[in-house]
Amino acid sequence: MNISVRSAPLTRPEKIGLGVIAVVALLAPVIFSNFFLSALLTQAIWLGLVALSLIFLSSYGGMVSLAQVAIFGIAGLVTANLSEAEGGLSVAIDPWLAAIIAILVAVAVALIFGAIASRSEGIYFLMITLAFGVMVYYFFGQVTSLAGHGGVNNVAIPGIVGDRVNDPASFYYVSLAVAAACYFGLRYLGRTPFGLTLQGIRDEPTRMRALGYHVEVHRTLAFGVAGLVAALAGVLFVWWGRRIGPGAVELATVIDVLVVAVIGGLYRLHGAWVGALAFVLLDNYTRRWTPEIGDILGPERFNTLLGLIFLAIVLISPGGLVGAYESLRDRVRAYFAGRRGDVQEDASLAPPAPDGASGAAAGAPADRPNGPVAAQADVTFQRSKTQTATPEIGGEE
Amino acid sequence: MILLVPALALFIVACGGDDDGGGGGDDGGGSSDEPIKIGFLSTCEGAFGAFYEATAGGFNVPLIQRGAEPVSDTPSDGVEGAEIAGRPVEVVGYGCSDETPEVAVNEARRLVEQEGADILVGPLSGDEGIAIANYAKEQPDKTFVNGAAGAQDATLKVQAPNFFRFHTDGAQWSAGVGEYAVEELGWKRAAVIGDDYSFAQTSAGGFIADFCANGGEVVKRIWPSLGETDYSSFIAQIPDNIDGIYTAIGGEGLISFINQYIEQKGPIEPDEMIGNLFVDDPIVLKEIGEEVVGVTVSGNTAADATGPDVEEYLDRLSVYPEVAEAGASVFVYHYYGAMEAVAKAIEQLDGDISDVEKFHETLANMELTGPEAPYGDVRLDENRQAISDNYIKQVVPGEGGKPPTVKTIARVPQVDQQFGGAFTPDTPSPDRKNPECKDYDLPWEGKLEPVDFESGESGE
Repeated sequence: MNISVRSAPLTRPEKIGLGVIAVVALLAPVIFSNFFLSALLTQAIWLGLVALSLIFLSSYGGMVSLAQVAIFGIAGLVTANLSEAEGGLSVAIDPWLAAIIAILVAVAVALIFGAIASRSEGIYFLMITLAFGVMVYYFFGQVTSLAGHGGVNNVAIPGIVGDRVNDPASFYYVSLAVAAACYFGLRYLGRTPFGLTLQGIRDEPTRMRALGYHVEVHRTLAFGVAGLVAALAGVLFVWWGRRIGPGAVELATVIDVLVVAVIGGLYRLHGAWVGALAFVLLDNYTRRWTPEIGDILGPERFNTLLGLIFLAIVLISPGGLVGAYESLRDRVRAYFAGRRGDVQEDASLAPPAPDGASGAAAGAPADRPNGPVAAQADVTFQRSKTQTATPEIGGEE
Repeated sequence: MILLVPALALFIVACGGDDDGGGGGDDGGGSSDEPIKIGFLSTCEGAFGAFYEATAGGFNVPLIQRGAEPVSDTPSDGVEGAEIAGRPVEVVGYGCSDETPEVAVNEARRLVEQEGADILVGPLSGDEGIAIANYAKEQPDKTFVNGAAGAQDATLKVQAPNFFRFHTDGAQWSAGVGEYAVEELGWKRAAVIGDDYSFAQTSAGGFIADFCANGGEVVKRIWPSLGETDYSSFIAQIPDNIDGIYTAIGGEGLISFINQYIEQKGPIEPDEMIGNLFVDDPIVLKEIGEEVVGVTVSGNTAADATGPDVEEYLDRLSVYPEVAEAGASVFVYHYYGAMEAVAKAIEQLDGDISDVEKFHETLANMELTGPEAPYGDVRLDENRQAISDNYIKQVVPGEGGKPPTVKTIARVPQVDQQFGGAFTPDTPSPDRKNPECKDYDLPWEGKLEPVDFESGESGE
């Protein structure tokens, strides 16, 4: 077995698994009930997109941004106000045009946020992005001509997309296509010089700066890219629920998205949807399944159970569900492969990337602990976090 | 990636399986064995979370009165063996929101689309009501009966044909109190403070229209956020040269507001404050107690009302002793009225609600009288919005160490939502600036009926 950075081959069961997922995803409208499709799967797709924008920033740029929900909300708010709706400005232009303008506005705001936040690190970065999030929340609540507590209702949606109640399948496919485009787009971006530089900056900002790279510009651009993904999610969200208000961008939502990203795995792009799906399903079904335990637990306290489950996931696997899977897979591999320590042969050229530098997610993290960059003594805040999530290496003693 | 995901996929298939039929394919169930499915939606978190069991109790009682058994003393545990007109009735879920429209709509979706509710009773709070009325348009074959949400727009503006509100709205609850302020309390200039959202603005809007119609002037409108905890900067904005303040702060915020108001401005002068229904809600009065004794309030219930209808109503509530104590709470009363209207409509159709249009028509023509609406008969207007009585009341000390209660002063009979044209589908929604303070022509001007329940002089 030769795990290399460029070509981590998928194992046979993994290929079969991927195939099954693809088939299930494409046939979902036939397999599932309308509610499951429109309310849960489609919700998981747009929620996953928001988480994706966070995971992209975190895994490629080492920036855990709490402002992604704000960008998502801005795109949604602009869409809702420019489209025909009850409440808000109700400018009533074509929904497509509204969406395009909304995305442009959101990306512009993301670039501005990025330009400001990119100069800070660690806890300060977290606080600055959190401040953006809270600012946007209050903007929603206070500027009543645009939203107000009640928000904007009954937003017009483009005919082709179809509303989620009467035509759940077409809305689902549109969302799926957007999600797929974002996923593959970001993976591609990770392999471009820009993506590689970004990963370099994630691990060694000082060194990259010394090499002549403009660290802040790269981080800002990364914010713009993530903003685009979040903005697309925002447009989908408004078309899906046909409404938006401050509740969509409140702190609880920021935390939800963080939870989605963390339980999915902060260091794998596809973790966004694994996390989102798990989150949406648990959120929905814990209401039924929460057992009655005296006054402590019961269906009306499903949030408690939800919290316990998330806590358990993070405790058991710091890399989230994806990390848990990878760690399990590597153990199984190690069991079958015996001791093959020749894993890091051609890792020398690549930064310790999650998805980006490797053809597939699989295998990449195995290189990280012993990779050339990571081997440096200088341990940054971001990297110490990535390392926590690193699954055990296959060929370890 | 990947073994995990097929496992997830399998899980999904397993989950997806039990939702069949919840996907909107339900037609309301024509056959008599199929239960009629009803969903309940209220708030169990946020500023109004304290009213959850009160609403659930009000909702359950019409079912219990028709033979269902409460599962426990906690209303949201549900009822067993519910039947209306021989048709089994299943409460598919007690939905829990947090007063934000987002969560309310998500819960409504879960109850209607997943659990397959034919009828949804709820929600509790203003903006939720507007959002659910909009959601009702997406689900024309389902039936939505408002719980206690009092924002004007939900019926006047949204006008969903399958959304019904069997109680008066926030503005209607203020009918007559502006006139009372001018004529009895001698107010000429007033300020308004309320939560910054649709219900409080509807509530204050009713006062403003009524006050200005009688020659009063509203000099300042202050809008703290819903669920605000520190009101000091808002209290500081209250002008000094006014005769009184109208407060439309609700839920938990009201308790903080009253305490901080006293800290900053001294004890409340009874003649200088008027409150909306939150001030005299029995559940809130327990908390703010003596501080508001003497304050004038208005709303569509009268806790001191007597007579056989009120007694019968309270007797029906007595299965839940705590709920019965708060019978005049709008949260109990409105959810009770909503479920009572649904049950009566099902009875009128002999349990067959498969013809949804006919069911909606029956509801639209439904009238609640006697113990179904002990505080004033209810009928619906063309927007499926209630027309009913309103009361001007005063907070009075409780007897024998009990929390304060109210004494009813006057009744405004059969108040309509449009205030004789002050509010129409074309006028701006009540918001931070609207309605304007001007001389409206109100149908009940000068027609307040004095009421004295204690001496049995009910004016009827």
